[in-house]
Amino acid sequence: MRRALIIALLVLAAVPLLFGVSQLPPIGSTGNPTYTHVVPRYLEEGAEEAGAENIVTAVILNYRGYDTNGEVTVIFTALVAVLGVLTFAKATAAKSEPAEETPVPAPPMPVSPVTRFIVRILAPFILLFSIYMVIYGHTSPGGGFQGGTIVGALLIAVSLVSGSAQAKRLLPERIRPWLQPAAVLAFALVGVAGLWLIGPYLSFPVEGELVFLRTPWLTIIEFGIGIGGAAIVASIFWAMEGSD
Amino acid sequence: MRVLWTNIDYAASVVLFLIGLYAVIAKGNLIKKLMGLNIMETAVFAFVMATGIVTGGDAPILGKGAEPPFANPLPQALILTGIVVALSTTALALSLIMRIYERHGTIESDDLWGVE
Repeated sequence: MRRALIIALLVLAAVPLLFGVSQLPPIGSTGNPTYTHVVPRYLEEGAEEAGAENIVTAVILNYRGYDTNGEVTVIFTALVAVLGVLTFAKATAAKSEPAEETPVPAPPMPVSPVTRFIVRILAPFILLFSIYMVIYGHTSPGGGFQGGTIVGALLIAVSLVSGSAQAKRLLPERIRPWLQPAAVLAFALVGVAGLWLIGPYLSFPVEGELVFLRTPWLTIIEFGIGIGGAAIVASIFWAMEGSD
Repeated sequence: MRVLWTNIDYAASVVLFLIGLYAVIAKGNLIKKLMGLNIMETAVFAFVMATGIVTGGDAPILGKGAEPPFANPLPQALILTGIVVALSTTALALSLIMRIYERHGTIESDDLWGVE
């Protein structure tokens, strides 16, 4: 009965969705409405106007910088919420009712020596690749989020093969609270600089003698996003692992 | 029907969306529900990315030797934002599920009826 209801609901949802999809303009033509409004301008003038040959980076950091500023705030807020839910709630629970039976954690699976060896060999190259991605994010595929996620994944891999204590040495407790909001801080820095030198918050120089500042500003934001992303991904993992 | 066939990418993301919706509705385990939600998010990302496809288009990276047509950069930029937000919500939801398990010893939504 319940299964029949669910299938009926899914069919009910499928019909209008498929009908709507079949009415959309065909995929792949340059005459699509998504391609005819702002996109020609991005593609024709983006490289000179925004200072990034990678138009996706130009859109993310320059044209829609506010959007990305909000987004890095979202991911930082998510980190704060995760830490609040896992760490602080646990601390208060332990204080008030210590007799609560806790589920016994499964013993950790031993890491194969092959895995450990491969991770150790690859770690510097992975780090180098991520730095390359962040630095060249405005002229080639890549960018802050991608590079930062790679570093975060590297920290998680190191935590898995040699223990979190080892991995946390790469991101010491003292500076971690400054690295986690790095993206927000970088945006605030560049935004206020734009406010001070040019005009509105987060405005980039388009022409004139300040135009040389544009690429450094983009790189500052990219590095902020990369460092912040890596610290946030790794911190979420450590908080969930329970070692934080 | 012919039109649906030319838009097979859109239709595929609709099917993916429905698979995710099924998991959210039918499964009792909270982790499975969250996986369904993630599948739905992925379907939406695939749909928006498909709107940016240009036949024979290059990556929208200008510079030496780059020739139009280029793929649409706007969906890519929007979905990059969306993926990061999806990551944030997933992390928060997982940590809430962990707390529920610590407190009640179960993450089956049927067993969680009426608990405080």
